[in-house]
Amino acid sequence: MTAESAVAGELRTMLADLTGRPEVAHIGPDTVLFGEGVGLDSLAGTMLLRQIERRYGVDVAAEDLNLDALETLGTLASFITKRV
Amino acid sequence: MIKCVVWDIDNTLLTGVYLESGDQLPEPDPELLAVVRELAGRGILNALASRNPPAAARYVAKVTGADFAAEECGWGSKAEAITRIAAELSLAPDAIAFVDDDMLERAEVAAALPDVLVLTPEDAVEAPGWPAFSPAVITDEARRRGELYARRRQRQAEAAAFGGSRDEFLRHVGTRISIALATEADLPRLHELSVRTHQLNSGGEEVTESELAGYLEAARVAVYTVRLADNFGDDGLVGAAILTGNEAGGDAVGLVSGAFGVYQVPLVMMSCRALGRGALDALLAWLCRAAAAAGATELQIPCLVTERNVPMRLALAAAGLRAEPGSIGPDGRAIFARSLTGALPRLADWVTVP
Repeated sequence: MTAESAVAGELRTMLADLTGRPEVAHIGPDTVLFGEGVGLDSLAGTMLLRQIERRYGVDVAAEDLNLDALETLGTLASFITKRV
Repeated sequence: MIKCVVWDIDNTLLTGVYLESGDQLPEPDPELLAVVRELAGRGILNALASRNPPAAARYVAKVTGADFAAEECGWGSKAEAITRIAAELSLAPDAIAFVDDDMLERAEVAAALPDVLVLTPEDAVEAPGWPAFSPAVITDEARRRGELYARRRQRQAEAAAFGGSRDEFLRHVGTRISIALATEADLPRLHELSVRTHQLNSGGEEVTESELAGYLEAARVAVYTVRLADNFGDDGLVGAAILTGNEAGGDAVGLVSGAFGVYQVPLVMMSCRALGRGALDALLAWLCRAAAAAGATELQIPCLVTERNVPMRLALAAAGLRAEPGSIGPDGRAIFARSLTGALPRLADWVTVP
């Protein structure tokens, strides 16, 4: 397993916990996090960013003005993997 | 300003120790109970942190008749309990005061959370006279704040037990979001929101009532309010935005004339009570739609970029607004923009608009 897919696996678990939807634990890397996909909103998104900072020491909000890293599961896993 | 006071129970709110009192449970301390009630009337929340079983908190709520916005009972540290309360209520540590009769508990909290105002029960009796406990304006929303937070806990418990998506949950609890043009009667609450909101505030500055009144009267400016309710209760006026057009163009709802070109939003603000309930998404979607209907081709929202308002940036990103990377100006702001040609963000069917 690559470092990125390991991070993606952990992110799936965090997202499933935050949204309270077990099926989110099985999303693919191209799944959109906002809106129709996972349905992340500013509350769940803020909690996710806090967990990422605690788990990986990566402050996504400080480094990514537009939070584009949160576009899909894959973009977020890649953003984190490049920084740990 | 202090927004929440976290109270110890044993020998603080109660005149004795809950677990050591046998059948005759201790009475509330009348002086401190008067402080709890006075602060609640000013819109300051009360919460409990106690090394007791949860039954102690239920007993305190019953004998005092007060609404506690959060309750943390357990054997862990008070600093951790306060951190959880701050997260639950979306408050920064400097908006929290902690009252405990035990010197060691106070020292532990002061060391772990230096921004929390740590008080003895004797200090707390004086606190209502201090400026940090004296909001200048007390609105209807403020007086009901404790009750609204108590309802929020019920809503969160229901959300945790609910399996579907966020939108399905919002529908399930009967969410109603109403966007309307602001009137003069809304000005005190709008001013209060400009002072109290941080996480969901694009401007980061107090806006006075007279400045707000100026926006209401100005040509080519619309001030929109957001009211939020669901089956758990009516939260009242939770947010607002100012939309400014410019010279020439078609009519928009509330805008005298619009512009072919760029519309700006100098301020978006939303109470953190509305977090996770779709109100900010609805407001941003409406701003896009109102500006597009007036003939604008682009919407711009200048937003102060801070650690605290990350939730605002998340909402801007979700609504399709983007800033030029590295474009934060000397004033700490970046301009988030999106095109209004093509598909616009959708409004849920529980949102009513002007």
